[in-house]
Amino acid sequence: MTSSGERRRRDDPWAAFVEAISVRQDREAFAALFSHFAPRVTTYLMKNRTSQQQAEEIAQEALLSVWRKAQLYDPRSASVSTWIFTIARNLRIDASRRERRGGAIHVDEAEAEFALDDAPLPDARMAAVQSEARVRDAMRTLSSQQLKVIQMSFFEDKTHGEIARTLQIPLGTVKSRLRLAMNRLRGLLDQDA
Amino acid sequence: MTITHHPDEEMLAAYAAGALDLGQHVAIATHLAACGRCRAFSRVCECVGGAMLEDEAPAALAEGALDRALRRLDAPAPAASAKTQPVADDLPPGLPAFVKGYDFGPWRWIAPRIHVRAIALPEPSPTRVLLLRSAPGTKLIHHEHTGVELTCVLTGAFSHEGGRYGPGDFDLGDPSVEHEPHIEAGPPCICLVAMQGDLKFGGLVGRLMQPFVSF
Repeated sequence: MTSSGERRRRDDPWAAFVEAISVRQDREAFAALFSHFAPRVTTYLMKNRTSQQQAEEIAQEALLSVWRKAQLYDPRSASVSTWIFTIARNLRIDASRRERRGGAIHVDEAEAEFALDDAPLPDARMAAVQSEARVRDAMRTLSSQQLKVIQMSFFEDKTHGEIARTLQIPLGTVKSRLRLAMNRLRGLLDQDA
Repeated sequence: MTITHHPDEEMLAAYAAGALDLGQHVAIATHLAACGRCRAFSRVCECVGGAMLEDEAPAALAEGALDRALRRLDAPAPAASAKTQPVADDLPPGLPAFVKGYDFGPWRWIAPRIHVRAIALPEPSPTRVLLLRSAPGTKLIHHEHTGVELTCVLTGAFSHEGGRYGPGDFDLGDPSVEHEPHIEAGPPCICLVAMQGDLKFGGLVGRLMQPFVSF
């Protein structure tokens, strides 16, 4: 019989590294996570109007959060890359507020703003457990053009007009690609209904 | 509670990506507090974020970045900022926890049978957030939208050409929409409203809304 822990590790190789930090403060596991994720978090942040220097600083903070919060990580609710994405997103929001407020005071507001209240709603948890693998499957069925507009629109915070200019496609094409891609993702949930 | 009106997928994706301004974020979070379906979709979008992060080309980090991180592992975490804001005890049900910690102004009369209560955000936002309380039976002749307006029902219900909106339901108004909502009989209808634009509270908003309200 395969334990759920083993199955998890097979699905998400990074979960075992977070577990090693959680269980025994494993610095080698941290180094492996840092080496993989910090450069990718930096790239993601630089695409969001963040300077390289600040992007690297936020990436440092994000991986330090992984170290400090390893015990809170729940592999049943998200993959490590999704968890780190949410940490980096929250730190990016906090950093931009801190900068606007003069930079002196530590800001940690975004995490609470994304926290959903304790009372679980019936379909939220089920979808969280199932969705990681299915989202990746669904993303493989999207065209690279659809993925590009999703990425630019939401994860690089570009307007439809900017996307149209950058990709040299009509505005209507940007909108229709987004709509098709969103419907595909929505379809993932409707399978559960 | 049966929720029939939801934010569109693009708005939920922008929420999950952290691309909404704080005022709009508050409106979506209020809907998510009531809606498992949209929570699930926002989680799907976070998974997309995770998958994209995994696929990003790694940036070259400054020399010694890993060593610097390793040296910081034993440093104490920055103290969480003090959150001493007392929670007002007369808030309507359905607000997310972080919103309850915000500063709520007093209820202000702005037109017959209609009151608003401003919510002060900790961050300047192009979108203002307020509670709007309308007495049962009120008919609002919708003011023209100058920007996007997000509404999430907390108590009571209203109807317009788009359907019936009860607790948890979400309504999007934009400059192309001209609805005439009618407040149902029953409890007062309290909505959280996130509106773009330059409305000033006090005398002006009353004068702005007055001509648009009838019975």
